[in-house]
Amino acid sequence: MSEKILQTLGALRDYSLEKGYEISLYYHEEDSYLMRFANSAISLNTNEHLIRLEVTAYEGSKRASYAMITDLAKLDDMKKGIDIANEMAKHAMPLTYQTTVPTYENTFIDVSNFDPDLSTISNEEKLALFNQVVSGLETDEIKLSGIFSCGANTVAAISTRSEHSILMKTSDAQVTIVLSHNRLKWEVQAEQSAQQKSDLDPAALRAELTALLHHYTHDSPQQLPLGRYNIVFGPAAIADMLNFTRYIAFNGGLMKRGYSFLNEENIDQKVFSNQFSFFDDPERRETFPFRRDIYGIERKRFALVENGVFKAFAWYQDDADEFGQQPTGHTVPHHSLCMAGGSQPVNSLGELLNLPRETDILYIPFLHYMNIVNPSKGILTGSSRFGALLLKQDGTVVVPYNVRLTQSLLDIFGDRLSWIAQEILPYNTSLSYGARNPTSIIVPRFMQVNDLEISHSNSSY
Amino acid sequence: MLNQIKQQIERLRARGATYVDTRWYPYEETNSLLMWNGNLKDASSSSESGVGVRVLYKGAWGFSASSDLSDISALFDKAFDNARIAAERVTFPVRLAEKETIEAKFESPLRINPFEIPLTEKIAFLQEMDKRLDQPGVTQRVCSLNFTRKQIIFVDSEGSQIEKIITEAFADLEVNGLDSEGGMHERKFKPPRRGESRGWENIDLQYFSQNAERIVRELNDTLQAEQCPVDDRAVILLPGIMYLQTHETIGHPLELDRILGYELAFAGGSFVTLDDFSKLRYGSEKLTVRADATLPNSPGSFGFDDDGIPAQDNLLIDKGILVGAITGRQMVEEANAKARRTIFNGSSGANRATSFYRVPIERMTNINIDAGQDGTLEDIIRNTERGIVLDGDRSWSIGSNREQFHFGTEAGWLVEDGQITRPVKNATYKGSTVAFWNSLTAVGNQSTWEVCYVDNCGKGQPNQIMQLGHGVPVCRFDNVRIGE
Repeated sequence: MSEKILQTLGALRDYSLEKGYEISLYYHEEDSYLMRFANSAISLNTNEHLIRLEVTAYEGSKRASYAMITDLAKLDDMKKGIDIANEMAKHAMPLTYQTTVPTYENTFIDVSNFDPDLSTISNEEKLALFNQVVSGLETDEIKLSGIFSCGANTVAAISTRSEHSILMKTSDAQVTIVLSHNRLKWEVQAEQSAQQKSDLDPAALRAELTALLHHYTHDSPQQLPLGRYNIVFGPAAIADMLNFTRYIAFNGGLMKRGYSFLNEENIDQKVFSNQFSFFDDPERRETFPFRRDIYGIERKRFALVENGVFKAFAWYQDDADEFGQQPTGHTVPHHSLCMAGGSQPVNSLGELLNLPRETDILYIPFLHYMNIVNPSKGILTGSSRFGALLLKQDGTVVVPYNVRLTQSLLDIFGDRLSWIAQEILPYNTSLSYGARNPTSIIVPRFMQVNDLEISHSNSSY
Repeated sequence: MLNQIKQQIERLRARGATYVDTRWYPYEETNSLLMWNGNLKDASSSSESGVGVRVLYKGAWGFSASSDLSDISALFDKAFDNARIAAERVTFPVRLAEKETIEAKFESPLRINPFEIPLTEKIAFLQEMDKRLDQPGVTQRVCSLNFTRKQIIFVDSEGSQIEKIITEAFADLEVNGLDSEGGMHERKFKPPRRGESRGWENIDLQYFSQNAERIVRELNDTLQAEQCPVDDRAVILLPGIMYLQTHETIGHPLELDRILGYELAFAGGSFVTLDDFSKLRYGSEKLTVRADATLPNSPGSFGFDDDGIPAQDNLLIDKGILVGAITGRQMVEEANAKARRTIFNGSSGANRATSFYRVPIERMTNINIDAGQDGTLEDIIRNTERGIVLDGDRSWSIGSNREQFHFGTEAGWLVEDGQITRPVKNATYKGSTVAFWNSLTAVGNQSTWEVCYVDNCGKGQPNQIMQLGHGVPVCRFDNVRIGE
């Protein structure tokens, strides 16, 4: 199949050269499967096979693009798309800078992250995994929700600048299992990200759910008083906050436009906690990495923060062109974000619950609907969800109603950061708006931040 | 193609499917232009076509979609197989509310097809807007045009056949600037829907020019302003933020699939329960809300939903009491059965998919608040002792059951003794949903009512982005926490 893709792209390149066009082609193919559960039933079982081709045409400093959903047999339609893009480019407006046309210096094919056993896992196997995880945990009032999303994703690119091309293929799965009380409206959740079939671990999912369920079914819920808390965040919350940090801190183009809470003077300065190190590392297969960006730049481990020192902005090609910077190989559908683990030997929920504590600790595994309140100050807001616990100083555990945090990322990853767990794991952050783009962020299992203010406390879940 | 689809539907019915429908998109086209600080950063178009097949078998759904129509029977078989495995885990077998068999055609109203406007003319519009936004205090200028046009042919196993041709035109302006402390502020213009149509005729140069000047002026006022105080005050929400308040804390909580727990794996639930219908005082007596898919000029109007149900105008909240929900054929049957009473008399026609390769789910249509009797904006300000006027969405975050919220706004003006005194920056407000709507003490008259659109409402797995509308007046809520 990979050969057919490259042959087709080659034929389209030949067509473009014959017509005297300057173009680049970006190919995306997905084979997506999603089994969705709700109210303890399979509420939807779906699959889509889609091929997208995006043509970008260049004429001097003018640029235009045309995208289509197509299939490999429709060569004439694709050629028409190339013609349309070129016609648009003629009538477009010159940019005030010279835009870069991708140039691939050698052909790069990477299918090492593709596991056919995972991408074609059967409907029966998916259902069996869910049944195994929640066996005996559902009741008339506690219902199963969740997804098993899996598939194969192929991206490829070529341009008229060289005969070489790139192609990268990966398999992925995201498993989310939720148990919720249909009257009380609490929810607990366990999740897993897989790049190959052997990554799936139903026993771990079950252990996580069982531990949370124990507290949610036995303990009375409490509305927490407003005030300051020492908070342990779980993988989902950490991944969400890191994603926002990537967006409003480390993006060079956004910094130049004023959307970042960091600036060029912060480079090589200590901005965060000594404990905080954060990388873009395409060597981590769990992140569904791109080892070339779509301009052909080889991607290597890229330090954003090392021991609290801000190291560099990430520059997308177009921003680098506009602002006269060196591109850093970050023009990819997603980055391979990795936060380094720490020294705290707390690597499971059970160990966290048993950790001796000098104060109450609020455990927030998941932050719902986070958004940016003030990008210049790195202030975010979001609410707890999916299994928060208040670990009392006296060793007991209380189930809290959900709370809202409104806080600066400079505090969360700064001096208020108390400890980071040793263990790191991939947390799947894939969204399926538009083209499939499997994404994971490697995060520590837990991270404690002290003295954070709860700005709203619910009187119900 | 249509005959092939009908033959396949019959074939699956013969295999035991209780219901089958297809949405064939012969075309869906987009055209997008984005100018940022005078650079035409994006000039793009797209096209797609394909078929989505939905099969109900033994009370469970299967869905499959493809753009490759060379083997249409395999596509239908895949959808059937997906339903067959889903039928192995059923707790409440899907039943569909009754509907009439319909053969119909709907075309969204427009006078000028935006796809027939030359690219050069569109670019000229953006250049003119960019020029007007290029003023002192403005560091970032963003002007965008987005157009979509699609043909959808719906066919189901109950004999319905509906063709829809829907065209939308969206144009936005945005300016950003930095205050003396380096804080970024923004001001947008997303034009309210005027007139009766949805085409290029709404991209009115003079109207946009006036508003370009206004948002620059208001941005500069914000840049010079003091920080919004932390305080408890009356908030007066203009349509530019009132639409979002309505969207997030009335629209989403009243989607019946959320209420029934179908979004708990991702988007979240709703604090509303089936017991609440006809009982819950959602808001004060001044609050009347309807889901009106019959407005001609809004993207929340589409003729027929993707269950083949005609557009309707239904009450959701009547003088503060919860009376209705946003529903499709499946959920009303399940809700009535679970409630052991008839809450819903049939689907409200709100089941929609964002493309041929996504399955229909409950989506907002136009969730509108009736205009009130409390006069103009000036009247409401005059009758407010201590308040703040807020406009423009800057950030929004809502609890997982939509029970509480935190919104950041672009612009705020303090009100003292019935008069606007000064602008403030970084104005935010927060609250608990039901308490907030019950603190509604003034609803502006028709002069304050505007139809705002949402072009990026996300929901579902696989995720879907939907377009819809909100017709809202200026509203005042008492004793709200601001500035946090």
